[in-house]
Amino acid sequence: MLNGFTLALVYALVALGLTLIFSIFEIINFAHGEFYMLGGYVTYLGFAVAGLPYLLTLLLAIVVVGLVGLVSERLIFRHLRGKTLNAFIVSLGLLWVLQAGAQLSFGVLDKSVPSAFAGIIRLGGLIISVERFVVVLAAVGLIAVLYAFLQWTRLGRAMRAVAQDPDGAALQGVNIEVVSMVAFAIGCALAGSAGGLLAPLFAVSPAMGALPVVKAFIMIIIGGMGSLPGAVVGGLLLGTVEGLGSLFFSSAAVNVLGFLMVIAVLLVRPRGLFGAA
Amino acid sequence: MTRLRSHGWIIVLVAVMALGLAAPAAAAEKTLEIGVLGPLSGGAASYGVELVRAAEIRTDEINKAGGLKVGGDVYKIKLVTYDHKASAADAATAANKLIFQDKVKYIIGNAVGATCNAVQTVSEPQKVLFAFVCWGTNNLGPDKPYSFRSMLSQWEVAEPFYRWVKDKHPAIKKIAIISPNDTSGLDTNTAVVKAVKSLGLELVAEETYERGTKDFYPILNKILAKKPDLLDVAASPPGEAGLILKQAHELGFKGAKGWTAGTNPASLVSISGPEAAEHLWSPLNINVKSDFVDAKVRKFGDEYEKRYKEVPGAIAVANYAAFDVITKAMQEAGSVDTDKVLAALTSRPYDTVWGRLAIGAKETYGIDRQFLYPMVISEIRSGKSVDIEQVLPAALKVMKK
Amino acid sequence: MPPSPALRRPLIGYGLLAAASLCLPLLTRDTYYVDVATTILMNLVLTMSLRLEMSTGQLNMAHISFLGIGAYASTLLVMRGGYSFWIAMWVAGLVALLCALPIGSLALRVSGPYYFLITFAFSEVVRLIFNNFFVGWFGGPSGLVQIPKPDPIRMPGLQLTFAGKVELYYLMCALFLVAAAVLVRLDCSRFGLITNAIRQSDLLAETLGVRVFRGKLTAFALGSFMAGITGAFFAHSHQVLHSSDFGLEPMVLLVVFTVIGGAGSVWGPVVGTVVLTVVSELMREFHHYETLVYGAVLILIMLLMPEGLISLPGKLDRLLRRGGGGEAEAMGVGVAP
Repeated sequence: MLNGFTLALVYALVALGLTLIFSIFEIINFAHGEFYMLGGYVTYLGFAVAGLPYLLTLLLAIVVVGLVGLVSERLIFRHLRGKTLNAFIVSLGLLWVLQAGAQLSFGVLDKSVPSAFAGIIRLGGLIISVERFVVVLAAVGLIAVLYAFLQWTRLGRAMRAVAQDPDGAALQGVNIEVVSMVAFAIGCALAGSAGGLLAPLFAVSPAMGALPVVKAFIMIIIGGMGSLPGAVVGGLLLGTVEGLGSLFFSSAAVNVLGFLMVIAVLLVRPRGLFGAA
Repeated sequence: MTRLRSHGWIIVLVAVMALGLAAPAAAAEKTLEIGVLGPLSGGAASYGVELVRAAEIRTDEINKAGGLKVGGDVYKIKLVTYDHKASAADAATAANKLIFQDKVKYIIGNAVGATCNAVQTVSEPQKVLFAFVCWGTNNLGPDKPYSFRSMLSQWEVAEPFYRWVKDKHPAIKKIAIISPNDTSGLDTNTAVVKAVKSLGLELVAEETYERGTKDFYPILNKILAKKPDLLDVAASPPGEAGLILKQAHELGFKGAKGWTAGTNPASLVSISGPEAAEHLWSPLNINVKSDFVDAKVRKFGDEYEKRYKEVPGAIAVANYAAFDVITKAMQEAGSVDTDKVLAALTSRPYDTVWGRLAIGAKETYGIDRQFLYPMVISEIRSGKSVDIEQVLPAALKVMKK
Repeated sequence: MPPSPALRRPLIGYGLLAAASLCLPLLTRDTYYVDVATTILMNLVLTMSLRLEMSTGQLNMAHISFLGIGAYASTLLVMRGGYSFWIAMWVAGLVALLCALPIGSLALRVSGPYYFLITFAFSEVVRLIFNNFFVGWFGGPSGLVQIPKPDPIRMPGLQLTFAGKVELYYLMCALFLVAAAVLVRLDCSRFGLITNAIRQSDLLAETLGVRVFRGKLTAFALGSFMAGITGAFFAHSHQVLHSSDFGLEPMVLLVVFTVIGGAGSVWGPVVGTVVLTVVSELMREFHHYETLVYGAVLILIMLLMPEGLISLPGKLDRLLRRGGGGEAEAMGVGVAP
């Protein structure tokens, strides 16, 4: 169970990025999974190929993917605020560009990334590999850093203001352009960090972003789109349901369960558990 | 609205379609075009990529030697490859393009069961010789005389493999299998289940997972609770099989490991790590570096590794052999007409990289269209694949005089 | 401004399209082109009907599911029930319609991105059911094979078998011409005004007496019916069905064709589908480069021409006439002539 929890936490990072972007831009970025994939490849290149220390490559993944996100925002997404449909197509285009780019650069086969930490920890009756334990710590750490940023820095507070009420925030003198840019970059960086964290566990491949992004969507719908605590809670909830479900049902049935949960939430309480009305 | 706006687009559309139609026809100067299809992107991409690369190597060998001499003509072989992305609809369109526009009469190479069916709806009526590695049971049959499977499938391999397991390792009684949830996976599971039961072994778990899954802990927890003696990752591709074994190792599994439909141990080990893959048995794999295989296979393996920086698996060797055999059959028939080549192909055994190749297995499929060759059971020791025994598929035993 | 009720221009447009599609097999002997053209016509019906649903302001990501429902329904009716294709086709459409009513009624309770997501969730559920459940009916991950072609038509004076690509092409052509006629006519009628009003503002339309929910549901049901019939054709022309034919990838292509062409006009999908399909087929040999370029093209078009390709002549026109000027960016809101 603890291991399912590990995965859910990391996917929650992806979900946080997705929902952060949604809260500012009101668009659904379908290419979000590709930023996750980029983070994985940066870690692969840094750690498996260049032999840099793992934690450094994780940091590198965050920075590089954040920068790519920044560029994407400046060139593409800043023109699409609020335009759900066009943003959907554009993000699809970006998805294809990034995925094809990865395939052409790295080939289509899975590339493995060695484990950064060996060994097993016993906590009471629970057994968890050191590797996964580090992943949990890192994920929790990143979530804590994000929280601190949003609560206690000026830019973070400005971001929350824009998410709640862009016009009001503008009247208060907030620079919407800068805030949006940073938000997008952070959202992508979060996805990249998740990719970097899971790379040693699951290897990297150009199509690796497809599954996490779907899971992230389910999480933010349950938790409430645009809500950051919602993303985390949604993540843990989905992880729990899927973990329990897979004990009794086939994997296909568990997938159906996830989507049925989405439908139920959207019908009964579209704003999710924590979303704004 | 002006005339330009409302009718402008109709004019443009007609122009665009005319452009599409006006694409120049290929110059036909004793070139033999051979089609290769496969999933070249997405999860199953490793299969498609191996098929194409093997085809390229054999084609280059033939062309460098002066071309393919058939009857009184010399042909330069040109490969036409398309990516069907593992989608049946895309495969049908690609097949249409190959057959009707590129005018190929030979498609050598395809993978992923559902796409084979789709291609066959076009290739069979058009008498196009179609050699593939797809494992769908219904991909071969008397109603599909032009279709061949160039690699051993689970039906040829499962029974001899498990018989070997039972003979050499009698302590193994409880078997668990896990495959992806698609045609190949389900058919492989069926074949393995049948073999296991016919030999009197106990099947304790039969599981499937959605392609693209990375976290196998839930499924493994379920399986390991039944305490299997042997875990067979069956039809899982190298990336996913590697993850399954790695995670099984993390969960403390210490039993025997099998990979009935495994084709590329090097790839698997690179994902699982040598420890997790230790003592993994693969009956279908071809180890291009071992002494068990023909020198020609080793040469092929070296060339492949030199060109592509990766070690080829059984699928690459299979398609290389298919290219080899089919071009030899053309020479035997003295023609590139598919009916004549078909007759030549099924009339006698050929010498290939596998050694003596026979085409048979009528008992299973109703028609002799399965390439048969000796299988070599290999075991992974310290991260390297070591061949331990050569075994004959049942259909080949029947055919050996 | 809403489309004018006058029928003259749409009639000319429709006429040209009909003439082009009917004449195509006469212009080329190449079976491959006829096959591609058949696929284009199929996609035209799907994108134009999708656009009908989008004209009420909602993107239905489950549209492809009704293609699938029609396909599997028709296949089962013919192969298990022994019915003729000609009956199965209509029943398949009906089955799709009957499934659309409850799904649409539920989904239309929400709007905007939530509608997008809930229809996406529905489409995944349907696809997973086709792929994993009721394997005896749907074939599971192996799908269904050896689906027969449409039954031959034997009437005094007329013998028509559907063994060849050209006959199948004309069948799809007939379906397309009927569907297009209905959709173009609707667009120019009062219904078109209603959907336009709904898209611009639900609330405003409601206050004006428009039955908003009913309008949306009607569009949804009609679009799904057309998808269902197309599904029957899909099944019996491809002869092989697999759940992946009705999943996210093909649906996404339909959306791309429609939006790139321009969802604001009934002709937008036509432009988008034809142009993008031809471009994609021409690039088929380039594998990954194809995907890369395709993605880049999508981004460029959406940034430079937010209303889609259909707005291109309009932009050029304005550029030529007035030396450039501002234009409304919002999707679908009519641009001043």
